[in-house]
Amino acid sequence: MGTIIKCLHLIAAAIFAFSTAPDIARRTMAITRASGATTRTSEAWPGVPEDGTVSGTVRVTGPQTVATRIDMAADPACLKMHPAPVMSDEVVTGPNGALKNAIVYISEGIGNHSFDPPTIPAVFEQKACTYNPRILGMRARQTLRLINSDPTTHNIHPVPQNNREWNLSQPPGSSPIEESFAREEIIPVKCNVHPWMKGYIAVFKHPYFAITNKDGMFELKNVPRGEYTIEAWHEKYGVLTQKVTLETNQAKTLEFVFKR
Amino acid sequence: MKHSRMRAHLAGILALLLAGGGPATFAQETHIGGLTGEASRGKQLYRRYCVGCHGPLGDGRGENAVWIDPKPRNFVTGTFKCRSTPTGALPTDEDLYMSVTRGFVNSNMPSWLPLTEQQRVDLVAYVKTFSSSFREEKPAAPVPVPSESAANQQSIQRGSELFQKMNCWACHGKEGRGDGPSAQTLVDNRGYPIPPYDFSGGTRFKCGESNQDLYRILMTGLDGTPMPSYASGLTPAQAWDLVHYLRTLQINAKHKRPTADSEQKHRSESKPVGEELEGRANRF
Amino acid sequence: MLFRLRVILLLVLVLGALFSLRQPAHAIPAFARKYSLPCSACHEAWPKLNDFGIAFRDRGYQLGNEKDSPIWQNPSYWPITMRITPQWHRESSSNQVVDTVPGNPALGQTFQNATTHGFDFGGVDIWAAGTLYKDISFSLLPSSDSSGSFHFENAFVRFDNLFRTRWVNVKFGKFELDNLVSEKRMLFLSNNGGFYQVYHYTPFREAQFRASGPSIVQFGDAFGIGDNQLGVELSGHSENSYTRYSVALLSSNEGNPGLPNRTYDGWASFNQGFQVGKLGVQRLGGFAYFGQRPTFFNTSLGSPVLGQGLGSKSFYRAGLTGLFYIKKLDFSTVFVHGWDNVFLGTGTAANASLPVGARGPSWNGGFVETHFTYSPQLVFVQRNEIVRMSRQVFSADPRDLGDVDAFSFGLRYYPFMSSRAGLALHTEYSFVRSYKSASPLPTSTSPFGPDLRASSVFVGLDFAF
Repeated sequence: MGTIIKCLHLIAAAIFAFSTAPDIARRTMAITRASGATTRTSEAWPGVPEDGTVSGTVRVTGPQTVATRIDMAADPACLKMHPAPVMSDEVVTGPNGALKNAIVYISEGIGNHSFDPPTIPAVFEQKACTYNPRILGMRARQTLRLINSDPTTHNIHPVPQNNREWNLSQPPGSSPIEESFAREEIIPVKCNVHPWMKGYIAVFKHPYFAITNKDGMFELKNVPRGEYTIEAWHEKYGVLTQKVTLETNQAKTLEFVFKR
Repeated sequence: MKHSRMRAHLAGILALLLAGGGPATFAQETHIGGLTGEASRGKQLYRRYCVGCHGPLGDGRGENAVWIDPKPRNFVTGTFKCRSTPTGALPTDEDLYMSVTRGFVNSNMPSWLPLTEQQRVDLVAYVKTFSSSFREEKPAAPVPVPSESAANQQSIQRGSELFQKMNCWACHGKEGRGDGPSAQTLVDNRGYPIPPYDFSGGTRFKCGESNQDLYRILMTGLDGTPMPSYASGLTPAQAWDLVHYLRTLQINAKHKRPTADSEQKHRSESKPVGEELEGRANRF
Repeated sequence: MLFRLRVILLLVLVLGALFSLRQPAHAIPAFARKYSLPCSACHEAWPKLNDFGIAFRDRGYQLGNEKDSPIWQNPSYWPITMRITPQWHRESSSNQVVDTVPGNPALGQTFQNATTHGFDFGGVDIWAAGTLYKDISFSLLPSSDSSGSFHFENAFVRFDNLFRTRWVNVKFGKFELDNLVSEKRMLFLSNNGGFYQVYHYTPFREAQFRASGPSIVQFGDAFGIGDNQLGVELSGHSENSYTRYSVALLSSNEGNPGLPNRTYDGWASFNQGFQVGKLGVQRLGGFAYFGQRPTFFNTSLGSPVLGQGLGSKSFYRAGLTGLFYIKKLDFSTVFVHGWDNVFLGTGTAANASLPVGARGPSWNGGFVETHFTYSPQLVFVQRNEIVRMSRQVFSADPRDLGDVDAFSFGLRYYPFMSSRAGLALHTEYSFVRSYKSASPLPTSTSPFGPDLRASSVFVGLDFAF
């Protein structure tokens, strides 16, 4: 029962894209079957309880920038879907500089522990000639489901460095395309037909990543004890790094502040 | 048959690796027709013919690369434009062989047809050693090219509608002149501006000249460029319709006007210079 | 006695001029710069072309990527190449007739070896070549000797791919005959090794007559297959240039502009390449040159009237060529059969009577040139060459009069291989033995001397940019 709820939660998480650890369900299942214990320990991390939490906020300081306006005139089908002017959502900030769409993740400290990818696909949707979500977090070898909800043809063109590059056209009304990436990397995605469409698919080999919400908040859950390097990445502001040491059952709070 | 061969190669490669051989000593083999290419021989040829542009590491950073536009291919990423395989897949040996043989129009990559078939196969074998992908991944099955439908008026009409629907015009322009609204924004996978193909220019396609080649370009895409694969969006019949329509855009194609006057003959060379260099001014 | 000395002196001069023919060799970093290809892409070892280079030249200096015409070139690009070869060399000739006591010919003459050595350089090639327009190519090669006196080695325009077929290309101007084994691109530079004997061979008697002939007899220079000629050429080739042909109509003036003439020579060549497994391309071909030369001038009050060469007599050269590759080893082979009309062979004006018993000379010659291309930057070269007279002008002459044995070896090392410039360290030794070709001592009763042995040692830097 609990598993089903978690699954539902996960689908929602994938769609709204500030999920953490979308594959906990599966690993948890395995553990429960094996031991029946209440303390979760990781398959990848045998014997170590994974109950730590790293949470916090990502902010940006400095003079306010004005979002640029996107001109969709090139494709009338796109223009039609936006009666109001469209502004770039590259930088979305909340009160106190809270920064949306930053990715916070463990960059070092996982070692060679390996994790099976979740069976649920990560969904990347083309809607109203923008990407939804703009920043998608997913796992290596997890299925990536690409959906075109628009009445116009898009092409999905990820430009990876470490993964195989592909480029697929998706006309309106066509069935979802399924792909995947084998290696860890934050991959820019573009639609060459609609040059304003920009997105990123962040691929991780582990479940410890999160994408900040509109309040700039993130939470990495179920982190085993250990020493970690945590990075915050933003498409415009780059990367910030912090080190954190986590004891069993410890919750740590971090704040990342980008400067404009 | 092919797969078992492939496995045999992988085993050979592993054995070599265990024996302490570096990447340069990979016994990468390539099979095209009845010929077997050997990377060791290909390496000699690569040094003679290719290293100036593609570089000793195969990363496209040869000593000439800075002066060349379009830039030489980086073999390390394993991304290749001209393939018979689906987008994102590795090319077949035959695909690489054809690229070496054909060269790339409007680039510095000449046709290496004057080399013997054996030499070209050896070169392919060596080029494959630069990317670990060729050792780690199996080549995908080629995209099938079904027999061509009749190129009648109805087919061309349907193709014209598909040109609209598939947003081909966004880059290639309403008349296929390479001047669509997105044309100026296009960059290749290394961030260098890349112009969409101008059908009116009269040059041949990058990946071959026949209708089959054009069909294949539509269905496989040109990886590393903004040209996507339409395999998931077009049925084979639709793709042929589009091929037939695209041919009508090639108003200066040589096979259509064998007696074209010299200005038209020269058009393919003279046209891009002015406006394109402007568009690329930020390159250097 | 005096007359005889003059003959000998002239003969030595003619032979000397022949042996010191410095063939400007062809290699064009300007093309490397234009196309960003390293020298080694077109040259087996520059200046010798490889299969790719042959195809590039056949296409009219075009790669065929729609980027060949000047409109694509950066305006600062200058399609000009220079080539210079500073060197140290040693020349040695046996059996030179010298006065026993220098300055006192009355005390008699004797044979002596003549040896000279020192630093030198061989002149400058300033070569412009490329395309004027798509499918219109040109070449202009002013070349100077070391004194700075220039001549035009070649100057032509070529219309490529006429009627949109690669089988029809027309070249007009002064150009090299389509020699599969090009003397302009040979890997030998020394005085004795830097030309092919069989391409320039003149029978001993003919050279003798040329040196002593009356002034109204017009021969021009001795004919050489390797020499550039003035005319028009029709040529064609398959897409990979494995099949090639060339026919040419040429002025009978040995490529010397302004020389009076009013007859024409003909040239035809064909060659075919075969892919042989892992060995590479093997090429076989044949060629023929049919020519004629006037034997005397019209005169006015005894002086030659320019442009009025008369009494043309014919000659021909026909041969077989082959390029054979065995991996890093390759062989350039040429066989030539030559024949000159008896009037040419004896230097006799067509309206005069022939020497008694004179016949048109004929001969056979050939060479095997071996290259071991260790890498694109190091090549070892070697050549064996012979010429054998098959019919002497006079049946009484020794069978081997004027026969030639030649032998050369050397190496070329290219310290770098780029697409901007080229530099080669060139070392070479060459040896030529010309049978009974030394001048006889004035006291000798025989009209022939002993064998002439000449050798060259050459160490130089051959560079082009």
